[in-house]
Amino acid sequence: MAKTPDAPEKAVKPVPAKTETVTADELAKEFREHSVAEFFKKNKQMLGLSGKTKALTTIVHEYVTNSLDACENANILPDIDVQITELGDEYYEITSTDNGPGLTKETVGKAFGQLLAGTKFHRLMQMRGQQGIGASGCSMLSQMTTGKEVKVVTGNSHEVFSCDLSIDTKYNQPKVSNIVHLTKKFRGTIVKAQFKEMKYINNEQGPLEYLRRTAIANPHAKITFTDPAGQTIVFERTVKKVPDKPEEVQPHPRGITVDELLNMAKATPSRKTNSFLKTELDRMGDTALKEIEKQVSFDLNKDPRQLSWKEIEEIIKAFKTIQFIAPRTDTLRPIGEEQVEKSLKSIVEPEFLSVITRKPSVFSGGYPFQVEAAIAYGGKAGRKIGEEMRMEIMRFANRAPLLFDTGGCGITEAVKSIDWKRYGIRDAETAPVTIFVNLISVHIPYTGAGKQSISNDEEVVEEIRLSLMDVGRRTARYIIGKEREKLKQEKKRIYMKYAVEVAIAVGELTEKDPKPIEHKLLDIVSKRLKLDEQQEKELEAESDEELEKEIARLSKQEKEANMGKGAKKKKGEEAEEGGEE
Amino acid sequence: MVDTKTKDKEVIKKLEGLGNQIIQQINKGDSPTVELPVRSLGNIYFDQKSRTIKLGDKVSERQFLNIAHTRKFMQTALVANEIKKVINQSATVSIRDLYYALKHTIEGTQENTFENQSESDPLIEDLEASLNLLREELHLAASAKGIIAGNMVVKDGNDTIDLSKMGSGGWSVPSNVEEDRVEIKKMDASYVLFIEKDAVWRRFNEDRFWQKNDCIIITGRGQAARGERRLVQRLNREHKLPIYALMDADPWGMYIYSVIKQGSISLSYSEEKLATPDTKYIGLTVGDVDKFKIPKEVTIKLNQLDLKRLSELQSYEWFKHKKWQAEFDLMREKNIKMELEALSKKGIRFITEEYLPRKIKDEDFLP
Repeated sequence: MAKTPDAPEKAVKPVPAKTETVTADELAKEFREHSVAEFFKKNKQMLGLSGKTKALTTIVHEYVTNSLDACENANILPDIDVQITELGDEYYEITSTDNGPGLTKETVGKAFGQLLAGTKFHRLMQMRGQQGIGASGCSMLSQMTTGKEVKVVTGNSHEVFSCDLSIDTKYNQPKVSNIVHLTKKFRGTIVKAQFKEMKYINNEQGPLEYLRRTAIANPHAKITFTDPAGQTIVFERTVKKVPDKPEEVQPHPRGITVDELLNMAKATPSRKTNSFLKTELDRMGDTALKEIEKQVSFDLNKDPRQLSWKEIEEIIKAFKTIQFIAPRTDTLRPIGEEQVEKSLKSIVEPEFLSVITRKPSVFSGGYPFQVEAAIAYGGKAGRKIGEEMRMEIMRFANRAPLLFDTGGCGITEAVKSIDWKRYGIRDAETAPVTIFVNLISVHIPYTGAGKQSISNDEEVVEEIRLSLMDVGRRTARYIIGKEREKLKQEKKRIYMKYAVEVAIAVGELTEKDPKPIEHKLLDIVSKRLKLDEQQEKELEAESDEELEKEIARLSKQEKEANMGKGAKKKKGEEAEEGGEE
Repeated sequence: MVDTKTKDKEVIKKLEGLGNQIIQQINKGDSPTVELPVRSLGNIYFDQKSRTIKLGDKVSERQFLNIAHTRKFMQTALVANEIKKVINQSATVSIRDLYYALKHTIEGTQENTFENQSESDPLIEDLEASLNLLREELHLAASAKGIIAGNMVVKDGNDTIDLSKMGSGGWSVPSNVEEDRVEIKKMDASYVLFIEKDAVWRRFNEDRFWQKNDCIIITGRGQAARGERRLVQRLNREHKLPIYALMDADPWGMYIYSVIKQGSISLSYSEEKLATPDTKYIGLTVGDVDKFKIPKEVTIKLNQLDLKRLSELQSYEWFKHKKWQAEFDLMREKNIKMELEALSKKGIRFITEEYLPRKIKDEDFLP
């Protein structure tokens, strides 16, 4: 399912024989010099920077993610301000400000001017979707499209300075210039960069929606956004606690690839393969080691740095035959039911909301994961496109919103696979409903390097489905309660208005005063409605089947009430005696 | 008219009884309910003895506290009350008059008690059936529709009318033709020809067919109303005249015939007073096409609706006679129907001068 673009066809064509000989050194140098810039240009799409709207959203994402991470690491409640100004046709300036710990003259270059320099690369830790291409990629893009430097103002605990930043593409080195020390008090980082060939659009994939969703998944952050028209939107902080830091975990034997294990083996301080496996992998005990010993063709006392690809393959193959204890799941950091509830209430403003954080689970035998889901129903939930209401599906991976590649995403698949009618949501596609799904894992199964959708992994999709069914049931109970009340009122209204007519007619017919008849009849009506209510309470639906039955019963009653209102009913009988007008 | 007065009192008593029953239920704190005979295909049967359709004994409850019945319950009470008022005023009103008298806006709403006459008509039939009363006894009349002409003199109120002197328009059959209203003074006809269509009736009247053939011609202009059906029944019973029906050869014409003969499903409760089981079907039949060498091009292919209706007819108990079943089979096999007017293809007077005399002479009827 990987969406990584295929290698250009040229590469596989035979290179025409040259008469001059080029030394390997020269080739290597040439490769190195062009590598980063070339790689970047060719892989714009893969990095999520192609497409005029998508690029703008991705830039905002990179800056905001950096800010959130920096603040959380320093245990600061994030205060983030993003501003997009239109400078010309498809020409914008983005200013992103945070209240994080700030950067030093040593770190500012790495943070904004060196591709692939992130500290998070190859770490097995629950992270927002970012691989260190991030903010430096934005600097690169700014440089490529405008030729201008990126301006940074940053303040740490002991100094505040501003500087200009660019990238030496030949050596993938940051160039920090024009450093000016400032006397004003400031802690945090401001980055200001200009971009061309972009388009600001306020749609489901635009920067505003990105920030709205980021705010939902990060209720501890306050996010302010000013759009090109000068309008400012503030997403207030609803939780006053910085989330616990995610823990780095050792890989589980069932959740590691040959390539990853080989890299670890090369870097290990252990002298023997058995001690390397035991100390660097989760849940690896002596029994398992003995079993591996039996299955591999080499001595496990071998120096791990000497292990070949083939030998690592043997180890991985052996892992698959062994029953390991499931990986640790206590390292997962969900947002939390209460937190999700607060932020959805504040930002989506639904009429009814139900949230669940499921218990952690494991996929592919080795990757711990956890699902959080919510249904926001009614009120301002759902997404209005023109005059039409659409169900809104908000997908998140480790709190980072996934805005693109909706169709192929496992979350979308899980949502679509639910029979929403069973949960009282008729016409799901146009229902005033916002669905929230946050997938949490140290290893999110993305479908491509764009990291905008997760794979249709059966275990993951099933877990998402179970979460949705859980919140679905709660929503159904709310809808049932509401429909019952509506129906009760409707019935009451119908009975009351006809009771008056019946009393008058029967009174006249029998030559009695209609008033007492009316009062008695109204008494009978209220008694009946109370009785109905009691019966409904006793019949509280629990299972899906019961919910479904109750929903069917209510919609039938509703139809009858409509008929009772005097809607024309087609005569099922044969047409006859037609002449009697 | 002492009889009428007594009858009126009895009817009012029945209507008040319905009202008192509702009040008793209310006083007991029960949901007011009226029991009504079920007037649908599922609750009728063909009575071999009277040879008419009769109502079975299935009843349904109309409950005020059933959201699907509430409106109808209210309307039933209104209809009963309104009919009592009409009787007390010694008036007779049409069912359309009654609909307008009943219709008003419900206080505090934008809803009317009745939105359409189709809401009040079936309730009148409900009352007739449940109180076992005739429409005429309720002082209700359907608008006059049928026309009649022939060698016969009637007294309608104080007017004596010679039906052989009605010109081209004929005499309009009143909705109430009971003896106390319409008296048959003189009868010189030997049979009655019941014609489905107005246009064909006019053709016959223009030719003074009734004079040449010593008969009475009558039409219900489509589905026959109660007036013409009751009158035909009286002519048959009191003057022993044979009744012949002349209809289109299609399931619809044949059904109209069966209503004259055995009665209809919705009025099954009073068919003994309306149906004329001795009626015979003279034509048209699909068999006539060959018999009278009627050109193919004037026949019409059956459509989906015709075929559906044909199957329904074939399943009715009162059409089970093998001659009828054979006719239905033939119609389906030939896949044609034919209108009365189609006979004009053989000449304008073919129907009156050749077709009918031959049919009657040969007694070529369907039962």
